[in-house]
Amino acid sequence: MAGRRDRVRILLRIAFRNLLASKVRTGILGAIILVGSLIVVVGSSVLDSIDRGMRTSIQGSLGGHLQVYDARSEGALELYGGLRGESLLEPIEDFARVKAVLSKVPNVKQVVPMGIDQAMVATGNTFDVALARLRDDARRLEAGEDSPGVRSGYAAHLAHLRRMVGLLHQEIAQARSIADLGGRDAADRKREWEALQRADTAEFWDGFDRDRYANLEFLENRVAPLAMDNAFTFLRYVGTDVDAFFRAFPLAEVIQGERIPPGQRGILIGKQFAEEWLKLKNARRLDQIKERRDRGKRIAKDEELQRWVRENRSGIRDILLKLDPVKAEEVARELRPALGAAEGEPLEALLGRLFATTDENFARHYELFYRSIAPRLRLYQIDVGDTITIKAPSKSGYFSSINVKVYGFLQFKGIEKSGIAGMMSVMDMLSFRDLYGYLTREKAEEIKRLKATMGAREVERDAAEEALFGAGNTLVGESKAGRIDERALVGPERPGAPAADLAARVYTQDEIDGGVALNAALILEDPGKLRATARDVRAAIEREKLGLKVVDWQEAAGLVGQFVTLLRVVLFTAVLIFFAIALVIINNAMVMATLQRVKEIGTMRALGTQRRFVVAMLLVEIAAVGIVFGLGGAVLGAGAVGLIRVAGGIPAVTDLLYFVFSGPALFPRLGAMPVGVSLAIVLAVAILSALYPAVIAMRVTPVEAMSSED
Amino acid sequence: MPIVSLENVSKDYMLGKTVVPALRDVTLSIDRGEFLSIAGPSGSGKTTLLNLVGCVDTPTAGRVVVGDQDTSTLSERELTELRLRTLGFIFQSFNLVSVLSVFQNVEFPLLLQGGLAKKERAARVLELLEAVGIAAHARHRPSELSGGQRQRVAIARALVTRPAIVLADEPTANLDSATGENIIDLMKEMNRRDGTTFIFSTHDPKVMAHASAIVRIADGRLAAREAVDAAAAAGRR
Repeated sequence: MAGRRDRVRILLRIAFRNLLASKVRTGILGAIILVGSLIVVVGSSVLDSIDRGMRTSIQGSLGGHLQVYDARSEGALELYGGLRGESLLEPIEDFARVKAVLSKVPNVKQVVPMGIDQAMVATGNTFDVALARLRDDARRLEAGEDSPGVRSGYAAHLAHLRRMVGLLHQEIAQARSIADLGGRDAADRKREWEALQRADTAEFWDGFDRDRYANLEFLENRVAPLAMDNAFTFLRYVGTDVDAFFRAFPLAEVIQGERIPPGQRGILIGKQFAEEWLKLKNARRLDQIKERRDRGKRIAKDEELQRWVRENRSGIRDILLKLDPVKAEEVARELRPALGAAEGEPLEALLGRLFATTDENFARHYELFYRSIAPRLRLYQIDVGDTITIKAPSKSGYFSSINVKVYGFLQFKGIEKSGIAGMMSVMDMLSFRDLYGYLTREKAEEIKRLKATMGAREVERDAAEEALFGAGNTLVGESKAGRIDERALVGPERPGAPAADLAARVYTQDEIDGGVALNAALILEDPGKLRATARDVRAAIEREKLGLKVVDWQEAAGLVGQFVTLLRVVLFTAVLIFFAIALVIINNAMVMATLQRVKEIGTMRALGTQRRFVVAMLLVEIAAVGIVFGLGGAVLGAGAVGLIRVAGGIPAVTDLLYFVFSGPALFPRLGAMPVGVSLAIVLAVAILSALYPAVIAMRVTPVEAMSSED
Repeated sequence: MPIVSLENVSKDYMLGKTVVPALRDVTLSIDRGEFLSIAGPSGSGKTTLLNLVGCVDTPTAGRVVVGDQDTSTLSERELTELRLRTLGFIFQSFNLVSVLSVFQNVEFPLLLQGGLAKKERAARVLELLEAVGIAAHARHRPSELSGGQRQRVAIARALVTRPAIVLADEPTANLDSATGENIIDLMKEMNRRDGTTFIFSTHDPKVMAHASAIVRIADGRLAAREAVDAAAAAGRR
């Protein structure tokens, strides 16, 4: 035993002294191993953190843990949209049954129905808004309501509209000076121009009160359409059981307004969507400049910020249009002293000064805008409390449209600024079904009732010709004459205006669940058992013949979900290449070292050293380098990870990164796993690369010691 | 009974595709306590003969018996073990382990053998270092020593395990003649003191003169085995 220990001691001594004897070689090998280990530690820490961030983002915003959708679907489910738009999914016809079956699977906490789609939202134009306000005043005046308040409001709105017409007139005059007036629609253009000219005359406005409704109509039909700003925008929404949704996705929060009341119809607009598409452009640009400046950019040095400032100057007209004279005067009064302007300087000039922002005055002007101007105009084209009209092509091809109330703005905590999650609006399930064009149970019954009343017969497509034109006897079919009972059509239990009723109606859970959904998110009690539960869910689907496909959250996230896989492949490839090169270099260096020591090894062999002693000596040498420098690299890696955290994390410079990082920056966390794995990899590579040199060393015979050339 | 015997030993080397016979039909026996010189011009087969006796090589034909073991029946590991227990080596270019100190170099074979406690080991190493006159340099590295000093360390290393046979391949070739003679004298002294068999190759007549017997080789064949006195006489002449 003592002999063995002595042998091990001398082996280690020779090995270590050899390492120290050739410091340069050891240093080079060490540096390679150190860098390798550093890359693996930092890389896998970052990757793990990204994985965690993405898990948070996806599971907390839309994904849940598992997703099910109809197995017959042409496309795969892509919660955040794919390259070709929305996923082509076949509907789940009877969600209630799916919910009943899947809720019973162990570890399934919640089954949340979903239907994701895009729709058009009419945003109206500023002309329409101003006209609507004026019409409202006019109606009150015509109804005999006469007070100084109504009068002054009417006058202000009238003056506002007159200014707008004036501005529109100027704009179109400019356009006409450069446009080809002899084109195909020349006659139309001419008619429009005449209408506009008429609207911008003193006579028209002086005589406005003589026939308010007729003049309003003239403005609405002939003039307003010429102002072509913002007709509609696209909205991405998920139709869902709203209460279940908020329970299932803890990141979702309403930041303005309130939640859709339980069981009612309504929509929560994605905050980021509102910011990007619905907010007044000038306000949005100010926000963006502020954000960039907060990140250290300067207007003086950044081309893009300068462009935004320029665009803000040309956006002044839009603000002027949105302010009626009363408010315009209020704004002007507040701006003059704040901007140090002369008494009587017009609003347009004041706004010009306000938006001519520089690095010096930006903070003050930003604050001024939000204090004096923002509260006096509609900052968002669609705002909390509005009822909006949403249109979408339905499943069966026709356009369906619905009116829903905007209850609030929605965001997902931590990923507020991400366009991937932040664009998403949340709508109630019944409105979704209306838009999607699938029959809710009640609609189906209504249609059945209508059919019964009107004597309509269901006609099969194959037999249509025969049924409609008759196979034999008469060409004239029998028609059942009868009085149409409108009340009966609408339904006896719901007299009055059905649209208003829909908005106020509270639906039962059965009604919400009973019908179509496109996919459903499963929330698990214990996400750690995801694989096992997915198996159980598949078994339940098989057993009950639900015909559903089960995917995990990562797969359901589509392209976004593949991001981490992609990163993993990239890192893996990089590490692989690095270590392949490292292997060659280490191998080469070790071969050289072994060849240099052939005589010494031969001597040792002659003196009675066994082969395994020599091989062990070489392996100990390289393993020692591997462990010492591998650990060193791991420590440096840990330091680098710590440094990244201290420096404020890796900034999410793109929208995808924002989502994937689950926040504005990624704070990589060092795990025991990456360190252990990196050490294992480094050791494996080191030992692997020492194998061939070890074989060479093993082949060295004592004869080599005898060779006398020196 | 001889300590080493070779019976009709031949050794061929392959040089490319041609067979180069290094030894042809050599029969030789060496007794315990001999101080034997193997003499011959370079390329005559001296080193090959030493390699065969030193168990670092095996014959193409014939039998080599070292101690009482037929080397052709032994495995690589057994041959290594035989070298460790029975043989000591002295090399032309000293071949000390450069990263070990003088003391550690001499101690090395003892550590490989095992079995001795640290104290006994140290005592034996120091005693040998005294005997070869290098004790003052025990802590030095080989690179800090002169050629003659290094060869003294090598002699100490060869003798530290108290082997039956010490083989020396041209031990004085890399030394000036005065130092060389000193080294031979030292070897002779050790031969007398412990009765260790020394077999060394050389082509230097002055070194040969110290031997108790000379085996002459030419073209791989045993040319002559000269008696002590004749050799001594030849040396003195």
